[in-house]
Amino acid sequence: MKHVIIGNGIAGISAAEMIRQMDADASMTLIGDESFPPYCRPMISMVLEGSVGYDRLPVRGADFYDRMRIQPILGNRVTALDVDNRTVSVQGEHNISYDKLLIATGADPRPIKANNLHLKNIFFMRTAEHVRAMLEAVPSARRALVLGGGLVGFKAAYGLLHRGIPVTMLIRSGYPLALQVDPRAGQMIQDELVARGLDVRVEVHVIGFDGNSRVRRAFLSDGTELDCDMVVIGKGVTPALSFVPKNIIQVDLGILVNRHLETSVPGIYAAGDVAELIDLARNTRWVNAIWPEAVAQGRVAGMNMVGRKVAYKGSLSRNVIRIFGLDVMTAGIVNAPHDGPYEVIARDDPLRKNYRKLVFLEDRLVGMTLVNHIQQGGMLIAMMQSGRPVNISREKILSASFNYRQLIR
Amino acid sequence: MRKVIVHPQRCVGCMQCMHACATAHSKSKELFAAALESPLPKARIHVGVGLFNEGFPNRCRHCEPAPCQLACLPGAISRDVETDTVLIDPDLCINCASCAMACPFGVIRYHQHCYAPPGKVVAVKCDNCFERQMQGLIPACVEVCKAHALTFEDPSRALKRRTDEVARSVSPGVLQTDLAAGFSVLNAHKRQQIEIALRRSQS
Repeated sequence: MKHVIIGNGIAGISAAEMIRQMDADASMTLIGDESFPPYCRPMISMVLEGSVGYDRLPVRGADFYDRMRIQPILGNRVTALDVDNRTVSVQGEHNISYDKLLIATGADPRPIKANNLHLKNIFFMRTAEHVRAMLEAVPSARRALVLGGGLVGFKAAYGLLHRGIPVTMLIRSGYPLALQVDPRAGQMIQDELVARGLDVRVEVHVIGFDGNSRVRRAFLSDGTELDCDMVVIGKGVTPALSFVPKNIIQVDLGILVNRHLETSVPGIYAAGDVAELIDLARNTRWVNAIWPEAVAQGRVAGMNMVGRKVAYKGSLSRNVIRIFGLDVMTAGIVNAPHDGPYEVIARDDPLRKNYRKLVFLEDRLVGMTLVNHIQQGGMLIAMMQSGRPVNISREKILSASFNYRQLIR
Repeated sequence: MRKVIVHPQRCVGCMQCMHACATAHSKSKELFAAALESPLPKARIHVGVGLFNEGFPNRCRHCEPAPCQLACLPGAISRDVETDTVLIDPDLCINCASCAMACPFGVIRYHQHCYAPPGKVVAVKCDNCFERQMQGLIPACVEVCKAHALTFEDPSRALKRRTDEVARSVSPGVLQTDLAAGFSVLNAHKRQQIEIALRRSQS
């Protein structure tokens, strides 16, 4: 059986390991855009911050491809996928044929529209290479501008503040991390960052830049100007599927897959940031572009590719961030609509900077926001993933003293 | 291979396992000296209070595959095959709490400890007392548990015993041996008291 995996991110390598574990004879080819050994993408912001070095990024040794007996084709992107002839084309390579194909191409930073984006020192923050370039600009940077109040924007701002660079953050929505946390937690995070010197401006965006080869100034939508010599664009990501024939393989925002991570074309699978599948909390198809999902989906895709019909229950959005003195963990539905079928309970203890919010749909837990006391949050996430009815007092779960004993009868 | 097995029905919630665990993971390995150490040694087994004030020693299950290991960003979590133990390398840990998000049992804590680089906050959890096991000792929580709520034995043996118990419960003719008779009475009593108090407060 000839397996071809597109993508050397964590979804791709998790699938490869699973395939090798279950089929010692399988032939495997892995096509990767980056020529690095497999590394941990969420940690690049820590390299920016300076808390870990580049040497800590790889998640597998340099001998990974040899050890797994994988033929790597690195440094180029797939340009075409021929479903009828079962081949993929890579820049400068012949057609590579496959029996089973995994698309684990991940996602690319979402571009923005603004004038003079070609200027130096305007960055995305997605790859190790991006951070390497950013670190070259750091020593001479006097004022940084971060576009977007999502996770990447926050991690960039956090890292740069740590490096002693004043940061202005522009957020289009009303509060930071609007997709990850509810307004209350968003406010707590913002207060914490503002106290540490971050300048946050909401409901404003950039329309253009000015500078002499390097960026010097930004023009904002409210008519003001802002001096800056470094810009980080953190406007989210979009699945990398430009080579996918959309008339043959069903695509929405991501590539649609069933419970076996198989696309609408048998023998072609998708996993990770590029895949769209049922979301357990939202009960609808969703792209959850997060590391733990990529690991889990990659493994299940690998099992199915070697012929073991394993079903994946569904994905769940979740995140945990530590920002200075705040720990924030969220999962599932964080902003339940007021007129929806959801029941929301919350407990706020501003003195202790402790906040908990739970979202229920009938007898199931479908969302949570925890600020501090996050250590046992995994229990709540497991409850959401299992979908099992919550048959104990909801107030008990809201309490910081909630523990595993209360779940067993 | 022997493993730590939890028998929730026997736990009286005395928390001695927590003290023993903290002491076993201290520099001095002595209770009174450990209490003076900095960083203060902390337990990796957590006795939680149930809905009726019953105790339960919550400790790492050393799952296979371990969700924390799969979720760990820097690859700091690994499995020691010899003792079937999931271990966290404090040098590699970046304190990102990804494992807290992954652990369905909520047994991972974040603090400094004496094997970690000084001043570094890291993820900490049960290591099956591998240090003690190398010296031929059994895990500290088991050694100290007076109620036999924690035992160190071959899981298949424990499973067989439990199967026998179930078999006895469905065939009344078989000789009954209540393994935790005293505690069943105690727990039933505690439960009753709270239920009565609840009913009073409602009426």
